[in-house]
Amino acid sequence: MASREFNVRALPGFGAVAIFTLVMLYLPIIILVIFSFNESQSQSAWGGFSLKWYVAAFNNSQVIDVSVRSLWLALVAAGIATVLATLAALATTRVGRFPGQTMIYALINQPLMVPEIVTGIALLIFVAFLKVQTGYAGMGYMVAAHTAFCIPFAYLPIRARLETMDLTLERAAADLYATPVQAFTYVTLPLLVPGIVAGFMLGFVVSLDTVVITEFVKSAGQDTLPTYMLGQLRRSVTPEMNAIATLFLALSLVVVSLFFLITRKRG
Amino acid sequence: MKRDSHRWKWILVSPALLVLILAASGPLLIVAVYSFLSPGNMGGVAWDFSTDAWFRVFFKRDIFEPENVTLNADHLAVFQRTIWLSLQTTVICAALGFPTAWFIATRPANRRMIWLFLITVPFWTNLLIRTFAIQEMIRNTGTLNTALLWLGVIGEPIEMMYTDFAVLLGMSYVFLPLMVLPLYAAMDKLDFRLVEAGYDLYASRFQVLRHVILPLVKPGFIAGSILVFIPSIGAYVTPRVLGGGRSMMMGNLIGLQFGQGRNWPLGSALAMVLLVIVVVALVFYLRITTRETGGRDGQS
Amino acid sequence: MPDGDGQSGNEIEIEAVGKVFGQGDTAFHALSGIDLTIRTGEFFTLLGPSGCGKTTLLRVIAGFEHPTSGRLRIKGQDVVGQAPNQRLVNTVFQNYALFPHMTVAQNIGFGLKMLGRPRAEIAATTDEMMHLVKMEAMAARKPSELSGGQQQRVALARALAPRPRVLLLDEPLSALDLKLRKEMQTELKRLQVETGITFVFVTHDQEEALTMSDRLAVMNQGRILQLGSPHEIYHAPTERFVADFIGETNFLTLNVIAVQGRGADLALPGGRTIAARVAEGLTPAVGTTVSAVIRPEQARIVPQGTGELSATVEGAVFFGTDTHIHLRLSDGQPFTVRRQNNDDLADPAKGETVGLSLTPGALQVLRG
Repeated sequence: MASREFNVRALPGFGAVAIFTLVMLYLPIIILVIFSFNESQSQSAWGGFSLKWYVAAFNNSQVIDVSVRSLWLALVAAGIATVLATLAALATTRVGRFPGQTMIYALINQPLMVPEIVTGIALLIFVAFLKVQTGYAGMGYMVAAHTAFCIPFAYLPIRARLETMDLTLERAAADLYATPVQAFTYVTLPLLVPGIVAGFMLGFVVSLDTVVITEFVKSAGQDTLPTYMLGQLRRSVTPEMNAIATLFLALSLVVVSLFFLITRKRG
Repeated sequence: MKRDSHRWKWILVSPALLVLILAASGPLLIVAVYSFLSPGNMGGVAWDFSTDAWFRVFFKRDIFEPENVTLNADHLAVFQRTIWLSLQTTVICAALGFPTAWFIATRPANRRMIWLFLITVPFWTNLLIRTFAIQEMIRNTGTLNTALLWLGVIGEPIEMMYTDFAVLLGMSYVFLPLMVLPLYAAMDKLDFRLVEAGYDLYASRFQVLRHVILPLVKPGFIAGSILVFIPSIGAYVTPRVLGGGRSMMMGNLIGLQFGQGRNWPLGSALAMVLLVIVVVALVFYLRITTRETGGRDGQS
Repeated sequence: MPDGDGQSGNEIEIEAVGKVFGQGDTAFHALSGIDLTIRTGEFFTLLGPSGCGKTTLLRVIAGFEHPTSGRLRIKGQDVVGQAPNQRLVNTVFQNYALFPHMTVAQNIGFGLKMLGRPRAEIAATTDEMMHLVKMEAMAARKPSELSGGQQQRVALARALAPRPRVLLLDEPLSALDLKLRKEMQTELKRLQVETGITFVFVTHDQEEALTMSDRLAVMNQGRILQLGSPHEIYHAPTERFVADFIGETNFLTLNVIAVQGRGADLALPGGRTIAARVAEGLTPAVGTTVSAVIRPEQARIVPQGTGELSATVEGAVFFGTDTHIHLRLSDGQPFTVRRQNNDDLADPAKGETVGLSLTPGALQVLRG
């Protein structure tokens, strides 16, 4: 039996290309993380392990300032977007075709299709107009822009959850004398929670990730972490940026892992 | 009753629609309007109707002889580069993404999730950070050049930053997961008995790939291609960081009109051009997919 | 068939084939010590419950599974290690596995195309095959536009088109409804006779196996329990599992009184003695208890006091063509009699005591 079993799933060379691709996907990120712990300023020569760039980042009041703003903005925008997306999902799933349905889907998915740069400059124009008209120049514009951008991402998992939900459960609740409100509170909503949590997490990550829209909507002093980094990248880069990026990566990794666990366990 | 449930639907969906109209779709209409106005002195617009912005998207007037009109070669070069780099990015992502998705789809079911997770993580990590990581790899004093110098492969650093190559590398890197995920979804649904049937009927590995696997995962291929092509066409961050002023794409050209250049109507017109390209790509995609699914039961 | 030489002989020889999935504690022995010879041109059936190893054995013959041990020869040639796309064996897959993106004609011609045959030959053979399975009118249809029975015919034509030496059929009728299944059974038998190709048919349906096969093997837990003609398997089961799996059976636990050659005398409840056949390779000892079987149609209800046995009626179930009468023997063992409803007979009353007459030579002593 020297010959190997015939594997119908194998295709020549595919495994090698896949491994190469996966390695290439992580190599730049891993190098970035490694050099954040570099004693020397170099991005290519190892000068010994050090946490000094992390210390520098934490002592940089501007970094703290933009990081806090980013997290605050992501929490608020994802929170509002999740509430709005949940309501929208309840209205648009598990129903037959109804007038205006296509328009609603188009509006909800529009931020996914229109390039961010176009949305960015559109908002720049609109916000500039509103600022002149109202005199208000606060964070409200950023919250609105991020919320709109987060809605489609929050909507997807909630809608998916609703669509796979067994309709007979609600009918069973109704059969057992529950009013529609009670059926929703005791049956639909608890079952929907994983979708809502997943939707919030996606919205949170997307808001943290958004750089183009923020870049064009922000007023002076409203930098978020990504726009701050974008500004810094033009100057000479220090490992402090690596340290900030690593912390940022760690945060994303935690949220994505949680998202994966939630959608998987209940899915 | 029916009426009533429709009203409830609209009440539930309206807060989301309001935010979307105010902060996403509505402003697009303003852009369309602005593209037909005249530029203001200090940015902004003057409320005079003008087609000058649209004219300047494609043509150029000689400063000294205004009647001497030529094609705007700078803009056309950016359009061409944008489309060409986006197509190349799509092809590279497909070439690497197909074997990767196949590899994941053929792992044992209990381990498939781990591989999928490894693809999903970069997808959800910050695009700017991933672009930054590529910059650190390919800078003159970056990891790649240092390693090659140390190995003695090259004598002096290769200039990679601010080239089309850098942009292509960066875009392929950041958009690759968008190709792998829909391809994986298509392969996950693939009935491997069909592959077995192919081998049973004397097909070689290559013939099975060509006649059985590729036609069956084609929808995933098309979806992946459109998912990579559209963000590539509209890319802003990656070409700005890796391409700089030398290898500019449409997104950057638009952005410039709202920065130093300060010609908002021109920027608006350019943005409309970009939007049109995206819409054409989407319509093309929809036509292919409806023909594919329509053909299944319509062709007899 | 043009390809075959028509001579009778051994088509497939399987020697001591074993197949183990996994390793160590989790190892699963899907096949153990399979010895089997399938003759050229016969309709051979592998019958057993799900998980018995019959599909694994079929996949070993097709080349999709590699035997862990043993030998496999097709027409005398060792094919272990030969890929499925090199074996002149074709499979009709359980759910047909028709290529959804190809038409009926493209599906049928696929194998020939892969073999690099000229286009004219592919077209001619495809036409011939479509005619054979009566699907000429459907040539341009896609599989999704066909009914289950039509898909079944296309799958058959596709597997037959390259004119394989052996056709493997993996529960091909299980997805069809009863009426269609009966039709296809006749159809399959006709095709097998017309083409002369060796058919290896896998099923868990005992009736299908009995009606269609020239010979069959009953499998359980990765082993072949009994091999023989449908008649032998039905009337002379050697093991309890075989007797139980095929048809309905009465099991009786009885004492051995005497042994003579291939027969034995057994003591019946109530004191009578009866001669029984003994399964091959078995020599029961006098004075021991053995398990014996008799089919429900091999006993008749007779007036009380006559016949070999005496029993009490517990109930009757009407099945249309026949009636099953459930009884309890005088020593408490259950017994069922199947009575043809030739006449409009009244069912015996519950609690009534009747006599039972057994068909001579029908009782069979089992192994184990």
